[in-house]
Amino acid sequence: MTARAWELLAVPLRAARRAGLVWGLSLAALIVLTVAFYPAFRDEPELNNLIEGMPDALIDAFGLADFGTPAGFLRGNLYAVLVPLMLAVAGVLLMNGQTASDEDSGRMEAYLAQPVTRQAIFIGRAAGVGLWLLVIGVLMVVAQVMSDEVFGLDIGAERVVVTVILCVLLGAFHAGVAALVAGLTGRPGLVLAAGMALAVAGYVAMALFPISDVLEPWRHASPWDWALGGDPLTNATEAWRYLVLGVPALVLTAIGAWAFGRRDVQVG
Amino acid sequence: MGAMTATATATVEPLVVQGLVKNYGKVQAVRGIDLAVRAGEVFGFVGPNGAGKSTTIRCILDLLRPSGGQIRLFGRDPSTDSADIRERVAYVPGELRLPERVTGRQFLTSIGRIRRRFERGRVDELAERFKLDLDRNIRHLSSGNRRKVAVLSAFLSDADLLILDEPTGGLDPLMQHEFLRLVRERRAAGATVFLSSHILSEVQSVADRLAVLRAGQIVASGTVNEVRGLARQHVEVWFEADAPRGLLQVPGLDDAAVDGRQFRATLTGSARPLIDALNGLPISSITIQEPDLEEAFLGLYQEDDE
Repeated sequence: MTARAWELLAVPLRAARRAGLVWGLSLAALIVLTVAFYPAFRDEPELNNLIEGMPDALIDAFGLADFGTPAGFLRGNLYAVLVPLMLAVAGVLLMNGQTASDEDSGRMEAYLAQPVTRQAIFIGRAAGVGLWLLVIGVLMVVAQVMSDEVFGLDIGAERVVVTVILCVLLGAFHAGVAALVAGLTGRPGLVLAAGMALAVAGYVAMALFPISDVLEPWRHASPWDWALGGDPLTNATEAWRYLVLGVPALVLTAIGAWAFGRRDVQVG
Repeated sequence: MGAMTATATATVEPLVVQGLVKNYGKVQAVRGIDLAVRAGEVFGFVGPNGAGKSTTIRCILDLLRPSGGQIRLFGRDPSTDSADIRERVAYVPGELRLPERVTGRQFLTSIGRIRRRFERGRVDELAERFKLDLDRNIRHLSSGNRRKVAVLSAFLSDADLLILDEPTGGLDPLMQHEFLRLVRERRAAGATVFLSSHILSEVQSVADRLAVLRAGQIVASGTVNEVRGLARQHVEVWFEADAPRGLLQVPGLDDAAVDGRQFRATLTGSARPLIDALNGLPISSITIQEPDLEEAFLGLYQEDDE
């Protein structure tokens, strides 16, 4: 890579350093603290009995099935709602910060006036966000595998790694949508609205649609369902699940970069 | 290096703007501008705030896409060749925002990595001249010091054309002076400078030619002396006794009035007839003030509106 291309990647990596580390360390801490409660939970059958007495729809909606098993414990406490939601939000916020928000505040102008194309700047920024999502995922895997070991939560490391990868890809998908809106409009308010609406709608479609017979088939329209519908903590994950999240993330970002090159730059 | 490149391409005008129009929805920010900036000159682009200076400059840099007309930077179209051309252009934005979580030095290093021509070796020399601490976080710098960081990035860029949008805002008079010295140095090295300002006196000391912009249109252009001759100035003279009423007949004056020991008038064009008339009179004090730009070119604007 040329010094110039490297710098276009290094600028967002540096700029998002604080936000990226806060997200990564927060998620790692959440994982460690949750797993730390596993020994106490394992030895307390009352809670399991309570959950088993709940209606099936409620159990499905909050991912509480098999709550007594290690996989069920991780799913119910972390990977059904909280972790994917946090990664989707992180993807939207990080991408917005490096694109629309930076453009709208006027801070991007110092770079846009340099001898590089707008597309190159945009792609460098999106790649920087992608790398930060990767770092967040690595921190999560390390926290999960180490705390499983320390607190005696017996689950295969492979299952955990795959689940984290799927959640990170869900974050990347939302970041891709944010990049698309940022490229088309340059308006941070719209980017946040679209990203957050997608995250919430996706969760609702996956978690609550199955309760209704009419809506049930539509749960498969949710990116959450693509990522987690196969229960990756228990089952092997099909290859298409990675592709259906990862490829749109790249394609939407590319369309965003193209659109960014064709319009007026926003003036704060 | 800058000098050589500029000389080699002296036949191509660095910047030509023809019939530039820029609309924001129904608002016409720029209403048909023509400009031709010659190689090696300092061109002043003067107008009150909101006249369309920054919009024009953003179109030149391809940050905005014109609604009409065309722009040529070194003979090429910035909307299709912008990345290559901007290697020869350096820019100081008017509404200055810089990345905040980096020091001035880190920002300049970053720009230096993106540009092929950048005089890294002169960073400390220029920072010294502008009394700028490069190792402080940009977030903690005053607006004047941020401005210096942006000015440094432009002057270190070894560009053939410097586009400076209100570059001295927030700088104290000493630093403005240093800035103008730097502009003259770059011109001596063969570079072309396009300098916008809402203050005529700031530009007139350094510009070779200038254009005056008002409400998206150019209302006056030419050499500094030509344009200067169109501007109005307020004159106020205090006499030791009652002011002589004969002064009211001096040519070139508007709104001339005598009030006790005071004589007031608005002067347009040469000051010679008034100075001649005042010669030998018992004057106790005299002030000649340049009003703000809107008023200085009031006459032009009114003609234009008719």
